[in-house]
Amino acid sequence: MTDLDTVLSDVRRGMIPAHIYNDEEIFRLERERLFGRAWIFVGHESEVPQPGDYVVRRVLEDSFIIVRGEDGQVRALFNMCLHRGMQVCRAEMGNASHFRCPYHGWSYRNDGRLAGLPFHADAYGGEAGFPRKGQALLPAPALDTCNGLIFVSLAPDSPPLADYLGDFRFYLDYYTRQSAGGIELRGPQRWRIKANWKIGAENFAGDMYHTPQTHTSVVEIGLFREPKAAKRKDGTTYWAGNGGGTTYKLPPGDLEERLRYVGYPEPMIESMKSCWSAEQRDVIGRDGFMISAASVFPNLSLVHNWPKVGDSDRVLPFVSIRTWQPVAPDETEVLSWFAVDAQAPEEFKSLSYKGYLMCFGSTGMFEQDDVENWVSLTSTAAGSMARRLLLNSRMGLLGDGTPVSPVLASAEFAGPGEARVGYGEYNQRHLLSRWADYLERPLSGKEVRA
Amino acid sequence: MTADASALRRVGPALGFGDERHLQAHQWLVEEAYLLDAQRYEHWLALVTDDVRYLMPVRVTTALGAGFDCAPGMAHFDEDKYSLGRRVARFQTEHAWTEDPPSRLRHHVTNVRTFATDDPDHLVADSAVLLYRSRGDVREAALLSAGREDLLRRSADGWRLARRTILVDDSVLRTQNLAIFL
Repeated sequence: MTDLDTVLSDVRRGMIPAHIYNDEEIFRLERERLFGRAWIFVGHESEVPQPGDYVVRRVLEDSFIIVRGEDGQVRALFNMCLHRGMQVCRAEMGNASHFRCPYHGWSYRNDGRLAGLPFHADAYGGEAGFPRKGQALLPAPALDTCNGLIFVSLAPDSPPLADYLGDFRFYLDYYTRQSAGGIELRGPQRWRIKANWKIGAENFAGDMYHTPQTHTSVVEIGLFREPKAAKRKDGTTYWAGNGGGTTYKLPPGDLEERLRYVGYPEPMIESMKSCWSAEQRDVIGRDGFMISAASVFPNLSLVHNWPKVGDSDRVLPFVSIRTWQPVAPDETEVLSWFAVDAQAPEEFKSLSYKGYLMCFGSTGMFEQDDVENWVSLTSTAAGSMARRLLLNSRMGLLGDGTPVSPVLASAEFAGPGEARVGYGEYNQRHLLSRWADYLERPLSGKEVRA
Repeated sequence: MTADASALRRVGPALGFGDERHLQAHQWLVEEAYLLDAQRYEHWLALVTDDVRYLMPVRVTTALGAGFDCAPGMAHFDEDKYSLGRRVARFQTEHAWTEDPPSRLRHHVTNVRTFATDDPDHLVADSAVLLYRSRGDVREAALLSAGREDLLRRSADGWRLARRTILVDDSVLRTQNLAIFL
């Protein structure tokens, strides 16, 4: 590989060595130094509402059973029998009081504790040979939640999730806390794309510039009320804490009018007003910006949009949450959920779901064209010519580094972090700079032993 | 007006392979496959009813005896005529990049069984479909295997698709998107 220091310094100045999108050595470093340390989204509490409910999710190769125990607590249990290493759970969702290994029959309670093993007395000499007490499936080194979103980290000394997310939590609420009931998730749709995981994360974080080109067709077929995808440039990109995203500029109006404009019904508008802070309300009501796509470093993305869901002018919003789960340098498994406010009216839920299916996910008409681009990019990044090409990701900066558009003052944009109007690759640079920060730091002796 | 398509179920054993109704259903499915291979979607759309339900659930791996193998409340496709119409209209634009250049498609349709329903103007047809999808010259081709249950309705112009449920055989799809129809 090209010298890592050179790669990272190029990335930090917004000139991206093209090969980082398909490179075995970079991928090995990402596995160890990034996915071995960062908080990784694995699911939502609404997916496991009852004791015994579980879903199985991965952090790269590591399989975890995300399960609600009889005590109501959600845990992430490493899905590997303590004896011979079989997966003790081979389904991806369900309800179980125990997980029994099919190999030799060791069984575990749904809180991870070893419940029993066959012939304990005969084979092991009972407790004297193998004390069962204290034996449990390995828990994820760290687990934390925010608005019901469950994250795990493979690093036991991770900072609290709230600190990791930082000011991005302000924006996360728009997607995941529209009422006191929070969201419920459906899905995920899962599919594998021959594309590097970083591309989707960068795209959702800040790529407003691709919308008028990549997504021309969805505007042409009248899926949106706005006649021109070029409207995108009137919105903002913002970066706050460990994530960033994009917004659309809405027509004049107050908070209620603007929420109504994107299709929220009155009861949901009331819930949002009571749930959100004055600043959260001001971003929409006073400043006129409505959240669109966003990414949390490294590989969680969110999207909010408001298509026409039937043959009328009525639009309706939907929210999707997804992860770009790395499989290989050139392959990503996408897990894409539909998310909706748990207290939303049933009619809203079903129409919002319809909007999601039309726009995003495995069949989504936005996503179809995105992925075509990302697959093409990834396959071209594998060769030797890609090692000679620095992709220009400096949009929004003059030659001397001066930003083209200024950071909005708090009187113009009430949210935390840095927000700017118009096209720019500020967020993609933020995301990849964080990536560089992780990749340049070798594992410490303590981390290796952990 | 026709019976509620969502309520019609198969009645009795599969029709004999020489039965005229089976022959018609089978021919309909084969003709449809050629339209889908050629991406002649506007012709295909004319063969679905205005009240069509086109559903492709998300399959999940569950324990034997769990009682379900589809993700609750989530599908890949859950379409009506409006949303199918938008999808077809998009392919007619000059900017549906994912199929420009187009994939080379082959829908292999087999294992066709036809059943009567309580309504003589409706048939249920089961089939298996294997889609081979090849794009460009670098990527591996994608395969999608699925079982389908269709409800066909007789019209003055021939049979029309009133309901289709697609049970895809993957929990994690190995294709970049579903910019195709099964």
